[in-house]
Amino acid sequence: MSVVRRIRVLGPAMGAAVLLAACAADAPQDTLEPEGTYARGIDRLIDPVFAVAGVVFVVVLGGAIVIALKYRARDDDHYDDMPAQIHGNNTLEIGWTILPAVILLGIGVFSVIGIFELYEEPPEGAVKVQVIGQQWWWEYRYDLNDDGVYDEIVTANDLVIPAGEKVGLEITARDVIHSFWAPRLNGKRDAVPNRRHPWNIQADEPGEYIGQCTEFCGLSHAEMRIKVIALSRDQYDAWVEDQQVAAEPFAADDMSEEAAGYRSFTGQLCASCHLIEGVNDDNFSDDSVGEFHRDIIGGPGTIVDPTLQASRHAPNLTHLMSRTTFAGAKFNLRRDTEECTALGVDWADDPDDLDRCLDRGALEAWLRNPPAEKAMDADGTPRRGMPSLNLTEDQIDQLVAYLTTLK
Amino acid sequence: MTATTGPLALSSGEDAGRNPLGVFARPSGSSGWRGWVSTVDHKRIGIMYGAASLLFLLVGGVEALLIRIQLATPNGTVLSADAYNQIYTMHGTTMIFLVVMPLGAAFMNYLIPLQIGARDVAFPRLNALSFWTFVGGGILLNSSWLLGGGADGGWFNYAPNNGVIYSPSHGIDFWNMGLIITGIASLSGAINLIVTCLNMRAPGMTFFRMPVFTWMALVTQFLLLFAIPVLTAAQFLLLFDRLFGARFFDVDAGADPLLWEHLFWIFGHPEVYIMILPSFGIISEIIPVFSRKPLFGYPFMVFSGIAIGFMGWGVWAHHMFASGIGPLSVAAFSISTMFIAVPTGVKIFNWLATMWGGRLKLSAPMLYSIGLVTMFTIGGLSGVTHAVAASDTQQTDTYYIVAHFHYVLFGGALFGFVGGWYFWWPKAFGYALSDRVGKINFWILLVGFNLTFGPMHILGLQGMPRRTYTYRDGYGFNLWNFVSTVGAFIIAVSFLIFFWNILSSWRAHKKAGIKMVADPWDARSLEWTIQSPTPAHNFDISPTVHRLDDFWHRKYHENAEGKVVRIATSVELVQPGNPEGVHLPSPSYWPIVISAGFPFLGWGLIFNLWLCVIGGLLILAGIYGWILEPSTDPGDHHGPEHHDPGEPTDEGGTAAEPEEAALVD
Amino acid sequence: MTETSTTEGELADARTLEQEAEGRAAEADYHLGAYHEGVDHDHTLTNTGMSNDKLAMWVFLGSECLLFGGLISTFLLYKHNNLAGGPTPHDLYDIKLTSISSFVLLMSSLTMVLGVSAIQRGEESRMRLWLMTTAVLGATFISGQVYEFQVFVKEGMGFTTNSAASAFYGLTGFHGVHVTLGIVMLLSAVVLSAAGRIPQARAESVEIVGLYWHFVDVVWVLIFTIVYLIP
Repeated sequence: MSVVRRIRVLGPAMGAAVLLAACAADAPQDTLEPEGTYARGIDRLIDPVFAVAGVVFVVVLGGAIVIALKYRARDDDHYDDMPAQIHGNNTLEIGWTILPAVILLGIGVFSVIGIFELYEEPPEGAVKVQVIGQQWWWEYRYDLNDDGVYDEIVTANDLVIPAGEKVGLEITARDVIHSFWAPRLNGKRDAVPNRRHPWNIQADEPGEYIGQCTEFCGLSHAEMRIKVIALSRDQYDAWVEDQQVAAEPFAADDMSEEAAGYRSFTGQLCASCHLIEGVNDDNFSDDSVGEFHRDIIGGPGTIVDPTLQASRHAPNLTHLMSRTTFAGAKFNLRRDTEECTALGVDWADDPDDLDRCLDRGALEAWLRNPPAEKAMDADGTPRRGMPSLNLTEDQIDQLVAYLTTLK
Repeated sequence: MTATTGPLALSSGEDAGRNPLGVFARPSGSSGWRGWVSTVDHKRIGIMYGAASLLFLLVGGVEALLIRIQLATPNGTVLSADAYNQIYTMHGTTMIFLVVMPLGAAFMNYLIPLQIGARDVAFPRLNALSFWTFVGGGILLNSSWLLGGGADGGWFNYAPNNGVIYSPSHGIDFWNMGLIITGIASLSGAINLIVTCLNMRAPGMTFFRMPVFTWMALVTQFLLLFAIPVLTAAQFLLLFDRLFGARFFDVDAGADPLLWEHLFWIFGHPEVYIMILPSFGIISEIIPVFSRKPLFGYPFMVFSGIAIGFMGWGVWAHHMFASGIGPLSVAAFSISTMFIAVPTGVKIFNWLATMWGGRLKLSAPMLYSIGLVTMFTIGGLSGVTHAVAASDTQQTDTYYIVAHFHYVLFGGALFGFVGGWYFWWPKAFGYALSDRVGKINFWILLVGFNLTFGPMHILGLQGMPRRTYTYRDGYGFNLWNFVSTVGAFIIAVSFLIFFWNILSSWRAHKKAGIKMVADPWDARSLEWTIQSPTPAHNFDISPTVHRLDDFWHRKYHENAEGKVVRIATSVELVQPGNPEGVHLPSPSYWPIVISAGFPFLGWGLIFNLWLCVIGGLLILAGIYGWILEPSTDPGDHHGPEHHDPGEPTDEGGTAAEPEEAALVD
Repeated sequence: MTETSTTEGELADARTLEQEAEGRAAEADYHLGAYHEGVDHDHTLTNTGMSNDKLAMWVFLGSECLLFGGLISTFLLYKHNNLAGGPTPHDLYDIKLTSISSFVLLMSSLTMVLGVSAIQRGEESRMRLWLMTTAVLGATFISGQVYEFQVFVKEGMGFTTNSAASAFYGLTGFHGVHVTLGIVMLLSAVVLSAAGRIPQARAESVEIVGLYWHFVDVVWVLIFTIVYLIP
């Protein structure tokens, strides 16, 4: 009996040990610390399965070690003293076929229930976001008027959602397969070109949740990162309103540094790829995109010349300064300090905050030579990633000044 | 059956000439490097498979160490993203296709004919062709390092990332054609070994008297037979896409990238069992010998192996739980995946039951076998945890999976193979590896293995994705990655010890000058009834088999009280190794000539079509020579003229057509 | 696949059964003697009763089923996919022509059977005649396919036009290569036979070529139904 008790204690303990070891305090991508409905549902499945696995682990490994020690031949004479020759036992065989099958069937039932929970339809009126992967950043497009077209808001790198609400995602990709994963909010779902995969996330509390692309997608797969920012409903509504405002062009006779940056932007290759609504909308058109995937490859900001960018898109910069990261969320746009983080998505609204929190060095380095900052095939044809534009230091300063106006 | 065979051989039996093409004389001796190059002996081919795998193991091992060095600390800078992607892709590809699969082939080639009491495989020259073609594929694949870089899309090379736009270097072309060629090798090997198992068993060797290793090998070969063509089909589609602009995986043409995933995993999952079943067979031979008991539940072991073989076809989509297939498919594959654990569990329990009540001698082969049982169990259990599809959405593509399959393939397959080396080394090479060093080797490997791959479970649950060349500080990944890197170097040390053991044991053997006994372990199957090292002709006369574990039953007898008593020593029973009257298939250069053509086809398609012409000519010349050359040289007499009808022979060939010729040895 | 599973099922052969009976008789006697004392049994026969060569061909054809399985699945997935523009094969089929060439190929299986039965009776020259006929019928089929391809390309459906076209040419092309290899085999058999190298005793080698030929035919019946007839 004591053996059984020991297994009963030790088994789950072993399972728990692995799980506990994985629950480090400073692990923002930990799969075992759910902070939303869906991730919690998965987590609730993991615990008992690990407990069962722990029991089997202890029984088999313990069994093997005990048997190996107990029946060990003491010496050569003992070894040559042949044991009883047992060829098998049908009852035992049937037993250890049926027993695991029954245990597995039990796990299987819960597994199936878990699957259908994950595949549920998002509730009526839920926020709907199209999540589009491309090498090596994520675009997020919102359907606010429920017309099935995701074109009201186009943003990148930070996925902004209302906290406490289930959000319906449509996950897809423009070039190769990617996988969208914010482990504290839900499991992962592949973003496959020509396929539109429904998926849901939900965050209990406002906050920022880290993730990254988990399907190998080429050179910078390791740096194709994800950040989900959950806002309170009020803040979210305000964010939505802000995002729909187009940018203003600068007058030709404006001699400020920002205006110089604006002219650099529109005069350089920048404006062929990056859309700033209200500024260079005319540079883009999705006419040449096949009807069947125009909802994915096309839409706002579709680059006309396919050799400029294989995915036909570069991040929309209209509200760059409302984001906290750039370059596929590899770099922080907003400094990663406590006071800056506390400012949330509004960190750039106040000029002082902007000055304090903008990671100017990172942004300048990026403009200076992007391929040196992140592995990209920027010189390939078609390009994958941002090429070095050989900007002068003055141009870089002006561009940064201009970009800070995009709030 | 006359000695002169082959379709062009004269029916009158007259001599077709020693060098029908006038290129080179037919090889006759078996000594020197020429003997190895031209051999058709299944044992030498088996040994060469093993040696080639060990070479590739070094390559794959160095790649593994580079990966671990890069990941030892956060933001590692030893490798660039590009280099890392190539190295991890080639590590996986090398270890799977050029190490574990050919190691299985090494054991199967060497042991199947011996365990079923045959003189060779059904088609000895085809066997040589399989081996050299495998070498050719391996060379083509690895030549990419010198010719512009290796494949960079992962061993699974998902479309469309494997297309020319997303992988513009030729790496994936090398990968693609290298694996098509090793596929040809595996397929011809599978046909050969299946026919051998089905047709060439010694008198009385019924199916249910075959050793479990041979059984598992047979199941493996059937899996290869049916799985390889699916991969080949997918690879041809990719080849057409990459080289000729076809639209199979072109997203802009509306292609569905999941086509590749499905085709790849329909091959890829049976592949997992192709890699593990031979090792299951190996330890099913070792454990009874060192437990002094018969294998517990022999029929259940056989049937569970067959069951795994069948069920292995119904679980492929568990690699695709996150890929976007519908909830019903996910549920079905989740359930089927759970149930494949049942026959595997049956095997584990039967091994433990075999040990139960035995007299265990914990020699090196036995330690590795127990190592397999325990380490594989860990891999199996982590497998069940992500068969739960919902949890798998958190675990797939993280290091948790990397941990899982290394426990299965390293803790499973490779532990079995190393155990097999220690076990059959005396039979193959005529000297035993030091058991003491073997035990040290085992414990170091066990520690290194668990240090390397154990922490990966934790890393995966903490959310570290696979196939990433770098990770950040502050994600909780630092400690365990460092531990893992330390472990990897301990594994490297244990393999160095193994290589050293080969050398030092050989030296000790030379010095002592004692001939290896035929049956050093007091074993149970037919390969131990012949001399060590195995004579070229295997069996002086075909053994007649009367029951399962026939050899053991001729040594021991259970008396009326149920006590086992020895009735004969193995020395009395074994064959003396007298080749008189045995006629063996003659060596041939043609297999290596044909095989040498294959990589040129690959290089030609990549660089210059003239190379294809060279390859094509080599293949054609090889086939022509092959057909003109009788499989048994009429001028090569192995003893008094005696046509042993039991010899593996070819009952007349068919027409001079490449594919056909490959089948008719 | 079915072929190989039947072979697997046929494994219990007369000879092994005989040995088993012998084994049972010897059961009482535990010491069966050393392995070098026995009488070498005559085992001209294989365990299955089927020659190694023939069995190998069956096994190989089992494997081929999966190759075509993969290609047929690909075609089924893409058969209407002309999202990249251009016609799909279904827009261009000339069912009448293909039916005729399919009939020709089917007839070649008949002549193949006649050829095999001729050599089994020892009628070498008649076998050559039938094999020649088979090869000619096969070549007629291939000509039909080449003509069909050429018409399709002219009508704007090249190999790279769209996914459906790639899948169509991929599948039927692979089959065409198989038929062509079969023709090479047949012609080689004719040449060898003319040189007197295929006597009646070697009828099996012709039979093995026949197995391959029938397989390629059966695959075509499948392809014709799936690719051409089912809309």
